[in-house]
Amino acid sequence: MKTLIAAVAVVAFGPGALAHHSFAAQYDSTRPITLTGTVAKVDWTNPHMHFYVDVKDDKGRVTQWTFEGYPPNMLVRQGWKRDVSMKVGDTVTVSGWQARAEANTAAAREVSWPDGRKLASGPPATIGGQ
Amino acid sequence: MTPTARSLVIALAFFSCAISAQQRSTPIPRTADGKPDLSGVWVAGTQPLLLGEQESARLRAADAAAGRPAFRREPPPYKPEFEAKRLEFVARRGVDDPMARCLLSGVPRVTTRPLPFQIVQTKDLVVILYEAHHAFRIIPTDGRPHPDDLEPSYLGDSIGRWDGDTLVVDVVGFNEKTWLAGTGTIHSEQLHVVERYTRDTPESIVYEVTIEDPVVFTRPWRQQEILHLRPGERIREYECIENNQDLQRIEKLLQNESIFRVPPK
Repeated sequence: MKTLIAAVAVVAFGPGALAHHSFAAQYDSTRPITLTGTVAKVDWTNPHMHFYVDVKDDKGRVTQWTFEGYPPNMLVRQGWKRDVSMKVGDTVTVSGWQARAEANTAAAREVSWPDGRKLASGPPATIGGQ
Repeated sequence: MTPTARSLVIALAFFSCAISAQQRSTPIPRTADGKPDLSGVWVAGTQPLLLGEQESARLRAADAAAGRPAFRREPPPYKPEFEAKRLEFVARRGVDDPMARCLLSGVPRVTTRPLPFQIVQTKDLVVILYEAHHAFRIIPTDGRPHPDDLEPSYLGDSIGRWDGDTLVVDVVGFNEKTWLAGTGTIHSEQLHVVERYTRDTPESIVYEVTIEDPVVFTRPWRQQEILHLRPGERIREYECIENNQDLQRIEKLLQNESIFRVPPK
């Protein structure tokens, strides 16, 4: 039991997460999502990168999704290059978690391209209470 | 795990142990006056987010081989009324985090965030430059006391001294606007932090922190983390408020707590 308590304590007060600030308040780790669409815009800004993806449904209707990811300093360390890795018009598949308050908005964990390239774009989900 | 992956992990662990044993016998760098030289770019912990999975595993194995835990943090010893406040912040899933508003992290959070920082050491001064929020700390080690005109601040005022091979940094003069480590870890202006930096191998510093605050804690709160040298890494720019869309999102969330609040059990 003591071991269990120690383990719980370490989890609850574990090493600082490099998460979005207050990730758990903004995003719902129980609502993962994976979408494929066309990149409409890329904002390479702090404290988070944002990129916008036009996603077409079965009936051909297009919805634009907003994705949030790491800041540029972390993207570079994950192998990203500004204006090279992701370009407007690229077809991308993005996985992440949906925002709690806003429709068509998500935290982006990973982006992949049809040629097999794959890059981490944001931290893993947290449930809060850390 | 596939047999190939397992072999790779075993080989990696063995390789790390071998390196680590070699490190322990390698003298740590020292300055001209014989003090341990802490200069370099460092990062706390072994978060794969910054380091990548393979490097993270190598550092964890090196920590294990060095015979000390990579991380140790007791639960915070809050008085009941402040523990209740902390739990309220937890129930609000960190929406109140000062960092989400791009405010400076305090001490020790500025160190333990897994973003790199650079230590520059001179004879009478240690300067720490943090990637997070462009923060810096200037730590005199010439024996001077804390100034007597301190205004409460996010990072407080630091003075250092050498205790054998350990740099001991005494920090006071904090405001009460930061969290110490983790969601809702509040404190008062009476916060007093003592950090101990011991370079135990050429590649690592044992970072021990004692946090005292007679207003909120029943006893000192102790933490330990390993800082890892990052050769080839450099401090990059991180201008937090450039395009902080979190602010609008948080404002929207705060209009209806039921959207984000942890439901009562």
